[in-house]
Amino acid sequence: MVTRPISCSAGAAATRRMLLRHSRPINLPKRATASSPMYSPSTGTVRTITSSTSQSNNCVTTQRLRLPIQPSPIARSARTYHSYDHPPPPGPFTPAEASLLSTAYAHVPSHGFTPEALALGARDAGLLYISPSILPDGSFSLIRWHLHVQRTLLKGKLVEILGSGGGERMRVEDKVEALAWARLLGNETAGVVRRWQEALAIMAQPSYIPASLAELASLADEILYLAGDVSVDPSWYTKRASLSAIYAAAELFQTTDQSPGFRETRAFLRRRLDEAAQAGGAVRSVGEWIGFNAGAAVNVLRSKGLRI
Amino acid sequence: MATLRPLMQPLRQCRSILSQHAQPSTSTPPTACARRFISSNSTTASSSSSPSSSPAPTSQQPYPSKKKPLTPAQQSFLSSALRVNQAGELAATLIYTAQTPPVVAREPHLRPLMKHMYDQEAGHLRTFNALLAKHRVRPTALYPLWSVLATGLGWTTAVMGREAAMACTEAVETEIGGHYNGQIRTLLEMVSEWEAEGYEVGEEFRELIATLRRIRDEELEHLDHAVEHDAQKAEPHWLLTGIIRAGCRGAIWVSERV
Repeated sequence: MVTRPISCSAGAAATRRMLLRHSRPINLPKRATASSPMYSPSTGTVRTITSSTSQSNNCVTTQRLRLPIQPSPIARSARTYHSYDHPPPPGPFTPAEASLLSTAYAHVPSHGFTPEALALGARDAGLLYISPSILPDGSFSLIRWHLHVQRTLLKGKLVEILGSGGGERMRVEDKVEALAWARLLGNETAGVVRRWQEALAIMAQPSYIPASLAELASLADEILYLAGDVSVDPSWYTKRASLSAIYAAAELFQTTDQSPGFRETRAFLRRRLDEAAQAGGAVRSVGEWIGFNAGAAVNVLRSKGLRI
Repeated sequence: MATLRPLMQPLRQCRSILSQHAQPSTSTPPTACARRFISSNSTTASSSSSPSSSPAPTSQQPYPSKKKPLTPAQQSFLSSALRVNQAGELAATLIYTAQTPPVVAREPHLRPLMKHMYDQEAGHLRTFNALLAKHRVRPTALYPLWSVLATGLGWTTAVMGREAAMACTEAVETEIGGHYNGQIRTLLEMVSEWEAEGYEVGEEFRELIATLRRIRDEELEHLDHAVEHDAQKAEPHWLLTGIIRAGCRGAIWVSERV
């Protein structure tokens, strides 16, 4: 059993911040503390979690973690070359992070996207209470996990969402709506709808905004890809931008929706998508009109003998 | 003036090098052709020189059905390569669209040639559009800008006369030929590295390399057509081709990133 004291310097600061968040008492069963083989009562690590005594100013001494401490890669855009033959590079979460987050995810409905949920997840995974400090972003990592899991689930549920045959006869717009709705329902099945306002508050913190927007863009890209949209002109950008905005608005609507089965959210989503389609149609018509007239003007000049 | 003069020399050299590779590569198996291609280019960092890579890539590999995951660097190379190719073919299609009416109005006998070149470019654009959609690569964000610039370039050179239009084709296709060669070289290095490590190579990549080879050969055929139709008689040839080639290189550099 190797204990390694960490001095009160930059490295320990993050650990202490992590621990201080646990200073509110939460009811952890004794079993967990006893079953952890590397737990030592003398370290004071767990005391700060289980009780709110006046230890918070102590320089915390902790044990060496078995998990490798490495920064998780920035949420890499899903919009790079997608190969059908070769497997993709490993995902954004390391195996250690994934095992911790997947158990912590189960505690989100009761504890929210909080350090408490992470601590309970660490207990369930048989890890030390300190182990959530491997997550560079703390509870935001749990939010990213939720977004990542729900996004990747869509592909597996494609037949369920679009019906057998993958919605061959459906219009792309209808498939987009069905997929966006399935993703909104994913919030309900995961039980995070009532916790989502807290999550949005965390996501809106300046340092998390880029990663949150990248996740939103990845979701829009995934939905349009699964819906079979193949446009590769500037409408690639406008479609993704409008779908992102509509999805974000619908998700916000969902957090306060009390109607059974989120009927109001579904109607809201449909209205917004219809509006976007109408606006897109208007822009296209104006563009066509201008193009037609410009072409006609050039042809008139050519018919007059101008060599243009 | 003194700084621009050297541009003429590389253009000739470049064309002669490119034309060497312009013969259809269907007669030889891909790797044999690849090796010849790599060895003839001194600039290649030929990490593929290991003799262990088997001559017949489709035959049995030591580790069947084992494919190496793409690294993020390879992924980003492939996305930017497909993106810039789509932008390039879009520009080429628009250049020919804009050139055709003024050129044909003056010299109706060029109509079949212009149509032939346009049809090929439109086919290339369809190919890359499909590849982008299939592999989930985003198109370039400067799509509208390239559309306007390409139409402007095609129309301007066509109004200047047939020679200028052909010089434009010559300059553009020279740059594009070299650009495709660079991509093919990198892909072949990737494939031969995988083969040397005993991994299998996906059919996807063999097809991509074959497609790029075919398209490069067709682009170089346009280059030959342009030279046959007095591209070199454009006045001032060095200035026109110099400006257009510099513009092409800039556009390629930007499209790979944005």
